[in-house]
Amino acid sequence: MAHPFTWWVLLPTAIVAAYFYLVAAPQYVSETRIVVRSRAEAPTVSLSGAISSAMGGGGGASSVESNSVREFLLSHDAVMRAQDRLDLVSIWQREEADFWARLAHSDPERLTKFYNSMVSAVFDSSTGLLTLRVRSFRPEDSKAIAETLLELSEGLVNGLSERAREDALRIAHAEVGIAERRVLAAREALTGFREREQDLDSAGTAAAAAQTIAALEATLTGARAELRERMAFMRADNPALLATHNRIEALERQIMAERTRRTQGNGTLAQQLASYERLVLEREFADRQLASATASLETARMDAQRQQLYVARVVAPNLAVYPLYPRKLISVGSVFLGLSVAFGIGWLLVASMRDHAA
Amino acid sequence: MSEAASRPPLIDCARAQLRVIGALVIREMHSRFGRRRFGYLALFAEPLLLAGTIALIHQTRSGGEGIRGNFEFFAIGYLLFFNFRGIVTRSSGTIPSSLQLLYHRQVTLPDVFYARHLIESVACTGVMAIFVFAAIAFGGDAPDSPMKMLAAMGLMFLLAQGFALMIGAATSEWHGIERGIHVLTYLSMPFSGLFFMVDWLPTWMQEIVIWVPMVHIFELLRDGQFGDRFRPVYDLSYVAAWILATHLIGLAGLRVARRRIGLE
Repeated sequence: MAHPFTWWVLLPTAIVAAYFYLVAAPQYVSETRIVVRSRAEAPTVSLSGAISSAMGGGGGASSVESNSVREFLLSHDAVMRAQDRLDLVSIWQREEADFWARLAHSDPERLTKFYNSMVSAVFDSSTGLLTLRVRSFRPEDSKAIAETLLELSEGLVNGLSERAREDALRIAHAEVGIAERRVLAAREALTGFREREQDLDSAGTAAAAAQTIAALEATLTGARAELRERMAFMRADNPALLATHNRIEALERQIMAERTRRTQGNGTLAQQLASYERLVLEREFADRQLASATASLETARMDAQRQQLYVARVVAPNLAVYPLYPRKLISVGSVFLGLSVAFGIGWLLVASMRDHAA
Repeated sequence: MSEAASRPPLIDCARAQLRVIGALVIREMHSRFGRRRFGYLALFAEPLLLAGTIALIHQTRSGGEGIRGNFEFFAIGYLLFFNFRGIVTRSSGTIPSSLQLLYHRQVTLPDVFYARHLIESVACTGVMAIFVFAAIAFGGDAPDSPMKMLAAMGLMFLLAQGFALMIGAATSEWHGIERGIHVLTYLSMPFSGLFFMVDWLPTWMQEIVIWVPMVHIFELLRDGQFGDRFRPVYDLSYVAAWILATHLIGLAGLRVARRRIGLE
């Protein structure tokens, strides 16, 4: 009875056993499993995707985001937000909680420390599942905390996803805006030109002018042929011949005048046509740019939709019936084993010291 | 406990044991390095040269990036392993070489082991300090937490001592084991955490490697050495369990061995 083993091992073990079997309040576990998925069907050809698949990441489940969610769930941020919604302090200070297991201090730092001992989040990279376990002194409390934490992580993932989508779409939106402004500017320039020059279609005008000249030249050619024909049988001073001469001269002058009017000097049709064509070209380019910008915006929108992240609840939080914690037998057994080993070493050390007694 | 009053108090026994260990340290130094003037320097020269050259070889060969290409990564890591190897490989010869000492009543078997292990650890810790200061002098970063590095060295000392006590007891019982010890310590090098950090490995390898106690000590060392530049993975209670278990078996084994030797 007076053997030191009794005092150093059996007595502490008995005290620990008495605490666990008589005093300790039952703790109920609520477990939930989620997977953070992206909507992408096809495997993404991004670097992070390649790395995560090389590291054994589950298909479709994104391990980077899952790890972010895990880190968030164990952080002071999650504690404070859950505290705002649920009042964790009073949950972990219920009257049925025993003095040893209950939350002793309600300041944020020690609350976070206590939270980390009661809440565990484990990410399994081979299945992509994130397992969340919450312990508290009432089954409904555990379930409520698990629910709240799930909602918080859903909010976090939605925020991440929203942010990523906005980033992807912002550039495409800006491109579309630039293209739209360019189209408007080009059309306005064209309208201004038309008003200034009082000419709807310079290309059409030019074509009409060319037609006029061509018609005059055809008439001139006809008149010349007529002159030749008449010169064959008429005298040189015949009035009819004179009239034909006059017509030819008039036609030639007219053609010359037409050409000069169209092609030489300021404000002529040639210059008008050049600036008109430049404006039309600009309008075409602007239209094409707008079309491609709209198409890439559409692609970006589809990509963003496909890469959208969401939290899928694989296992919903349960309402515990039997308290799994504290683990009495394992705790008492490990205390006994640890003390026995420590006692054995201590005894050996003391014995070897005793050997030195002369 | 009836005769407790007649026995001298425990504290005197402890003082006597410390004196014996101190004397054994000096004797061990004399027998290993002779009485020449700079003989003791050989104690420091051996790990210094070994760790230095191995770190140089690794640096020129891999030329890696980050902390892996760091000179101190291999130099100081190798010192930690050198401590373990030095203690464990010498352990099988400890009892045969100190048999005649045991004729003195006050010298016990664990004392001989403690003395040898202290010499090895002091040498390795000293060289570790030299490397750290040299690295700072050559423009490297100061270690993040020297206390963690010292704690790693202390844990390695205890773990190696546990193994050494076990091996010492076992070789006195079954001869021939010492042949395998050198091979085993050499083969344990790739698994010891000397060449890698747990974080760099794929998940399935991490789960295997985490069972090796030395890996945890190396992680602690590098946590102290490099701080936040990587994610350390270690569980010191696991290392403590190993240390306690090996010490228990080793010390108990030595008591058995002592009785056998006394009979011879």
